[in-house]
Amino acid sequence: MQKIGALISNNRRFIPLSATVALFFIAYAFGAISYEGMRDPQVFLNLFRSSHYLLISAIGMTFVMLTGGIDLSVSGVVALTTVASAALLREGWNPWAVMLLMLGMGMALGATMGAFITYLKVQPFIATLAGMWFARGMCFFISDDAIAINDRVYRILGMTKILVPGLADPVTKKGDFISILVIVALAVLAVAIYIAHFTRFGRTVYAIGGNEQSARLMGLPVNRTKMLVYTLNGFCSALAGIMLSIYVLSGHGLYAQIFELDVIASVVMGGTMLSGGAGYVFGTLFGVLVNTLIQTLIQFDGRFSSWWIRIVIGALTLMFIGVQSLLAARKTRQLASRKMTSQAKGAIAPAPLAALRNRQMLLLGGGAIIVIVLAVLAINGAQNAARGSVTNISTPTSAACQLKPFRQDQAASLMKAGAILAYERNGGSSCIDELYSVYPDGRIVGDDGTKKIEKQVTPADVDKLLSDINDKGWFTDEMYDTWHTPCGQCYGYYLTVSYKGQAKTVKAVDGGTDAPANYWQVVSTINGVIPHFAP
Amino acid sequence: MTQSKSSFTWRKITESKLFFPFIALALILLFDLIFIPRFFALTTQEGHLYGNLVDVLRNGSCVMLLGIGMTLVIATGGVDLSVGAVMAIAASVAAVMMNPVIIGLKLPPNLMKFINDPNFTYSPLWAVILVTLIVATICGLWNGLLVAYGRIQAMVATLILMIAGRGIAQLITNGVRIQIFYEPYAFIGQGWIVLPFSLYIVAAVFAIAWVLTRKTAIGMFIESVGINFRSSYFSGIDEKKIKLLAYTFCGFCAGVAGLVASSNIKTSDAYNIGLTFELDAILAVVIGGTLMAGGRFSLFASIVGALVMQAITTSMYAIGVPAFALQAIKGVVVVLVILLYSEQVRGLLHRITAQKGA
Repeated sequence: MQKIGALISNNRRFIPLSATVALFFIAYAFGAISYEGMRDPQVFLNLFRSSHYLLISAIGMTFVMLTGGIDLSVSGVVALTTVASAALLREGWNPWAVMLLMLGMGMALGATMGAFITYLKVQPFIATLAGMWFARGMCFFISDDAIAINDRVYRILGMTKILVPGLADPVTKKGDFISILVIVALAVLAVAIYIAHFTRFGRTVYAIGGNEQSARLMGLPVNRTKMLVYTLNGFCSALAGIMLSIYVLSGHGLYAQIFELDVIASVVMGGTMLSGGAGYVFGTLFGVLVNTLIQTLIQFDGRFSSWWIRIVIGALTLMFIGVQSLLAARKTRQLASRKMTSQAKGAIAPAPLAALRNRQMLLLGGGAIIVIVLAVLAINGAQNAARGSVTNISTPTSAACQLKPFRQDQAASLMKAGAILAYERNGGSSCIDELYSVYPDGRIVGDDGTKKIEKQVTPADVDKLLSDINDKGWFTDEMYDTWHTPCGQCYGYYLTVSYKGQAKTVKAVDGGTDAPANYWQVVSTINGVIPHFAP
Repeated sequence: MTQSKSSFTWRKITESKLFFPFIALALILLFDLIFIPRFFALTTQEGHLYGNLVDVLRNGSCVMLLGIGMTLVIATGGVDLSVGAVMAIAASVAAVMMNPVIIGLKLPPNLMKFINDPNFTYSPLWAVILVTLIVATICGLWNGLLVAYGRIQAMVATLILMIAGRGIAQLITNGVRIQIFYEPYAFIGQGWIVLPFSLYIVAAVFAIAWVLTRKTAIGMFIESVGINFRSSYFSGIDEKKIKLLAYTFCGFCAGVAGLVASSNIKTSDAYNIGLTFELDAILAVVIGGTLMAGGRFSLFASIVGALVMQAITTSMYAIGVPAFALQAIKGVVVVLVILLYSEQVRGLLHRITAQKGA
């Protein structure tokens, strides 16, 4: 027991980091036990696939925070990068040149803010705030609307699937996959870990965060390092912006709203002290993963509204800040007691002890709040479930709703019978299973397993629908199956289209995974045409 | 003799906290005078004043309110990032109290028909205002507890409420934008008694803050805590209570601002009410010459700072800059202001004036 105590007290600096790692695995295990769909390895990989740009930005922010600064401009720079690169690509620029230019722009913005902070002694908060406003405002000088990106290189970078060895079949090219962007993010992480812990620059960063005055007195290049740190963060923001624009294949000035809060919360959850000087770049990875995992869990559950994400992340941030400040208090007390024993005189220092008590109270309070939040979550969920069952007794509750298998044979026979489009929609909160077939003469038939519904449109409408679907790239490689075991209340889609001698079937699921954007446009186009069953 | 005397008064003027904000305001108004015809035109309808200048005052009232609270917080050496979120919480509480039908608190059937009635409210107005302000004050108290007693950096402590606040506001309204039909409530933000009613509210809050800080010792204590909290502690000032008071008052001000903002648009919009207002408020205080490090402060200068921000916004709208692009201009203005206030530039100015004197 004593040994364990000694081990803990000797490795106290790892406590926030290990707390994050533990939290991540506990939360993931909880999710895997509660929701069958989460056991799919693809869902785990999707945590990376949807957070790569957050990770990049958080890595840059970690360095800034290690020096005791903060950078609020990340969201603005990310948005500006997406808009600027989309606009330049629309003008027909070389994509690689665009990326280089964007990285240069991010570094220039970062360096400017760094210069303000370092040489004009402006508070980091104010200087980067101005930077954020400037960057976000500039977006709207470039374009008011979202600009789509149709560049080939961007598409390849965004859509190439990298199959994970062991989880995928290399011959049929099916299975679990990640994207190129994930590899880039992890590579940047590795480089950042090297820079932070194995270079002179990294040590200077920690020294500045520990105590800027003494770092200066030690003759460390404080000004140069601070400049570099903000430049580095500008680079990371721009890289994050490029990755976001590749990920969503468009640019808009309203992207990445309050992104900086997510980044800061991730870094704090990763165990980096906001006062600087302590923390690990590696922890940031887990901060980001915890952040993404919370969103995934809330999505999977489906009973909680999106605003719970913000509340839970706020509560977790509070908890981690509580842990940090408790550790800091312990350290102060230890130093004080050490000083006292060496001097061997004086009464017990009251201030650190009082501070420690305060912090313990704070931690307890924070814990209590988290318990309250979780309790409210549980009650809210139970209420919602109860409300759902009261208002709609005939539909099964979400727990009982297992996604039915697709009626593939029926769809095939419908196609054979002359239908040109078969569209099946399964699942959802009321557990539907609807199969629609569209015929060239304008007849649309819906079948939910018990009754049929019919609608007549003109043949021209059907032609328009099909050509719309064709225009969205239905028969290209951009439409592929994104099917995996779905979450409890997600919809599954099974869509066969035949047009001008071509036929193609795609299976997808919403919620847990992300099909290409065109796919949802196709689905919503069809949903606009077909008749609907009365709820 | 006259030379030295005039230079003395000149220095007195330039060293006043009000000097730079007023110069900035004057510059912007000069710009308006030259480039925007009829910017200064005032019209009266039914005895009420209308015009661009009145608009500046009316639209600036929220930032002015926040600026008053923020000045005290910044003077203690802290900062409150959560005011925008607290505004949203306050607006949600007020809306839910007046129009609770949306969140499932079913009204009795005999009251249902009144729901769109401009004279109907579920809770009386005084209760709405009281509860809203109490909730906002509790939010401020929470920040104060974290900062003063938890010894967490102010920026971090208030960041928590900034992250969670909008979530809480949406939780209160169940994610719905609740419309407010009650007319007397709308008077808070939309009413006019010669001047916009919200201005009287600003004046009242300003008066409270002014009496609190300038007619009692609290103002001195706040400055003392901001300059050096440790030596304040040793000279017998309970710095924790002073900080707690500042944050609590800031929460109160944010609550008032939330009432004004929500009654102005007659909706509680948890996503957008007070969005980025914390930044505007901090900037107003910075323009007002209160140092972010804490210490001496001037409430009136912060009010002028808020007006500078609003005057920029209104003039840019008047010359047709789109709302979103305005941010870029604001960013540039911030840069200019902080350059103007930075020690380096000030030192340069002093050297120049000193050379002239010699």
